Amino acid sequence: MNKIMYLEFERCIGCRSCQAACRECGDHDAKERNYVEYVDFMESRQTYPMLCMQCKDPACARVCPANAIQITEEGVVLSAMEEKCIGCRNCTFGCPFGIPKFDFEENKMYKCDMCYDRSKHDIAPMCASVCPSDAIRFIDYDEMMQLRRKRTQMNLIEGKKPQEGNKWEYVPEFFGVYSD
Amino acid sequence: MSDFVAKKGVKNLQHKDEKLITTHCCYCGMQCGMHIRVHKRTGEVRGVEPRYDWPVTMGKMCPKGVTAYQTIEHEDRIKKPLIKKNGKFVEASWEEALDLIEKNYKGLQSKYGKDALSVFGGVSMTNEKCYLVGKYARVALGTRYIDYNGRFCMSSAAGGFIRTFGVDRGSTLPWTELEHSDCFFMAGSNTAECHPTSIQWFWKAKDKGAKMIVVDPRETPTARVADVHLDLKPGTDSALANGMMHILVKEGYVDEAYVQERCNNYEQLKEQVAHFTPEYTSEKTGISIEKILKAAHIFGRSKRSVVMFARGVEQQSKGVDNVALYSSMSLLKGHIGKFASGVATFTGQGNGQGGREHGQKSDLLPGYRKLTDPEAVKYISSVWGIDPEEMPKPGVSAYEMFDEIQKGNIRAMHVICSNPAVSAPNTEYIWDGFKKLDFLVVSDFFLSETAEYADVVLPATSWAEDEGTTTNIEGRVIRIRKVREPYGDSKTDWQIMSEIAKRMGKEKHFDYKNVSEIFEEFRLATKGGKADYYGVTYDKIDEQDGVFWPCPSEDHPGTPTMFKERFATEDGKANLAIVDWREPGEIPTEDYPHILTTGRVVYHYLSGNQTRRVNFLMEQCPLPYVEMHPELASQYNFQDGDFCKLTTRRSSMTVEVKLTKAIREDTVFIPYHWGKELSVNQLTNPCLDPISRMPEFKVCAVKLQKIAEYEMPSPI
Repeated sequence: MNKIMYLEFERCIGCRSCQAACRECGDHDAKERNYVEYVDFMESRQTYPMLCMQCKDPACARVCPANAIQITEEGVVLSAMEEKCIGCRNCTFGCPFGIPKFDFEENKMYKCDMCYDRSKHDIAPMCASVCPSDAIRFIDYDEMMQLRRKRTQMNLIEGKKPQEGNKWEYVPEFFGVYSD
Repeated sequence: MSDFVAKKGVKNLQHKDEKLITTHCCYCGMQCGMHIRVHKRTGEVRGVEPRYDWPVTMGKMCPKGVTAYQTIEHEDRIKKPLIKKNGKFVEASWEEALDLIEKNYKGLQSKYGKDALSVFGGVSMTNEKCYLVGKYARVALGTRYIDYNGRFCMSSAAGGFIRTFGVDRGSTLPWTELEHSDCFFMAGSNTAECHPTSIQWFWKAKDKGAKMIVVDPRETPTARVADVHLDLKPGTDSALANGMMHILVKEGYVDEAYVQERCNNYEQLKEQVAHFTPEYTSEKTGISIEKILKAAHIFGRSKRSVVMFARGVEQQSKGVDNVALYSSMSLLKGHIGKFASGVATFTGQGNGQGGREHGQKSDLLPGYRKLTDPEAVKYISSVWGIDPEEMPKPGVSAYEMFDEIQKGNIRAMHVICSNPAVSAPNTEYIWDGFKKLDFLVVSDFFLSETAEYADVVLPATSWAEDEGTTTNIEGRVIRIRKVREPYGDSKTDWQIMSEIAKRMGKEKHFDYKNVSEIFEEFRLATKGGKADYYGVTYDKIDEQDGVFWPCPSEDHPGTPTMFKERFATEDGKANLAIVDWREPGEIPTEDYPHILTTGRVVYHYLSGNQTRRVNFLMEQCPLPYVEMHPELASQYNFQDGDFCKLTTRRSSMTVEVKLTKAIREDTVFIPYHWGKELSVNQLTNPCLDPISRMPEFKVCAVKLQKIAEYEMPSPI
């Protein structure tokens, strides 16, 4: 896989298309594995998407007593293997981003696999394909770095907070990528 | 030719046992490109695949688009004709249903005259079908009473554009140019929710530094990303537009040479806007002076601006005025007919553009010809093979048809592709009208709230079971492909109309074997009209990624940018709008102290007849609610999740309270996609625009009351 997922939280319009599309991926059993949350609906309609970070040393896999969570050679962290998962739910508690979900009927965990059947061929995962506002993108590393530099450059030209409705206040601190 | 169209180098995921069929979404005017996954052997619809190379939407889809395919083989589909017997629907054969229709139509016409029948059309279907609805009413049934649901959607935009530019094409520029614009002035549009895939273009421009000014009483997801959010009081757009033009004139932002050469009424306009000072504008609109000035200066300084609007400004008793005024702002800047600048309206329905051009309106014939023009009547009569004398005269607008029902003039109605029991204003009056009718026929593929009143329900096919063309938000004619065979015993709308025409003895005018034959006749009917499709062919659509009308001949490439040299008015000049301040139909009083406005949510489409049956969408938004500022809520001691009874001069309804500061303190909002007790259109005001006959959905006076306990009815 030559591409990476790139999130820009402030672009999110809260349509939850990514969630609808997640269900459409062939291997997803019509269950979505991503999240869209309001920061605080009382204050503003700002939402943000939350996807699996595909961690290098994923907590979910580390806390799995059955070694059921596999990592592909490209670094994609897959859902627990059905035959190995013992349904202990350690992964759902272990993940610092709260990503893995648990299917109580099937007694197994499931999570984002970056639509592995697509992304292994460099075809964008469903969420990144449909996201109308480009809050979720599937792009080359170089393009991503260029986008990051561009943002700093735009801030120099336009000033850091160009907008009247100060949405920056509502983006949590831990999404610090754009707070300069 | 293959049904799968993809450009070289574009990768799609193709499963071995499936084929992809290239088409567009069935919902809004964006008409997002998509491929539908179909099982090769069984022909079953499997899902959706993004169409990355469709130049307008780049594979992006909203949640409605992603799940659109789920309606095609939905368990609620009507499989056979239904006839109401003793108050209950019973399945019947097509023969029985058509026999009954023939008997009633003929009986009523012989007793009360030809105009006893009426047709209520819709524009969520192809150009071919929309064209045929007009012909069906006028030739097969011979009635003057035909109108359509665009009257509740696009008619004010049409009226305003015709008045200002002489022709009604929703966008004067192709939207692929939007990323090069430097200022968007967007009024009454929550495009992030209503046309979500358009937002990518605004972001592309914003990434380069473009500014966005959004006019909306709510801080919608669109307004949230604006540089200036003009949070006006509903129904005060005309004051704001005049106020903006006041500053443009005063500060010297007007392109004098352009205005002198290409516009009428400039001197009168200057006189008219003179008293719309920022102070006066602020007083009328409730927007702070500072914001008005800031917006005017941003807009005034821009080199390539696009003024855009939607139902927020159009669904008012001043809808046409508002459209003309906002368009005039763009004219003053000299920005129409130029690169990456212009005026556009956001078309609500899939084929809202094409469907309103070809004769579904009470006073129009195909090609945007006027029914009052004898030459037009002569030409269309020749295409249809009838005597011009036989052509019915203009009828009345959609809502006014229900007045005719009450008067006893209309005795029967055929509703095609529409659900006025939910989407019309003052719905209790509409329901009463349906009950008064002697005979009601509804063609639909789900049993809508309107269909429940019907005597006969005819199972129509969904968008995926027929082919044809639609015209998207830009005026680009595109191609819809057939994905599967008709579900159950359903028939396409054009087959249904042809069958009924046959029963009415008009088969020679409806002798179609396939859609292409209708398309050929339709092209000819539009030839020489303002909306000229004559040069559009299916092959050209595929070759060029759609064709923009007007396209008068087969060697003509189409017209992406309108009005480059002249406007379509008689003298070739645009008419600047001279409009003084006028109050909306209802203003808050002591008895009804607040303002109610309505709109869409991203998860539902129009009356919800389709989207309320899709699981994902219903999980996100199962019921309507009232959005309220916490300051207003505390006056009534409302908390999140409490029940609020809202009463207007028409009726009342009860919904849950949803608190947010992202709305004006004097305004409450309810989405409109539900029927019966959950329909906010029980409350809305049928005060009509004098020109477009558009009802004032967006403004009415309301009172609130806290309800201790309430059980919400079922949403379907």
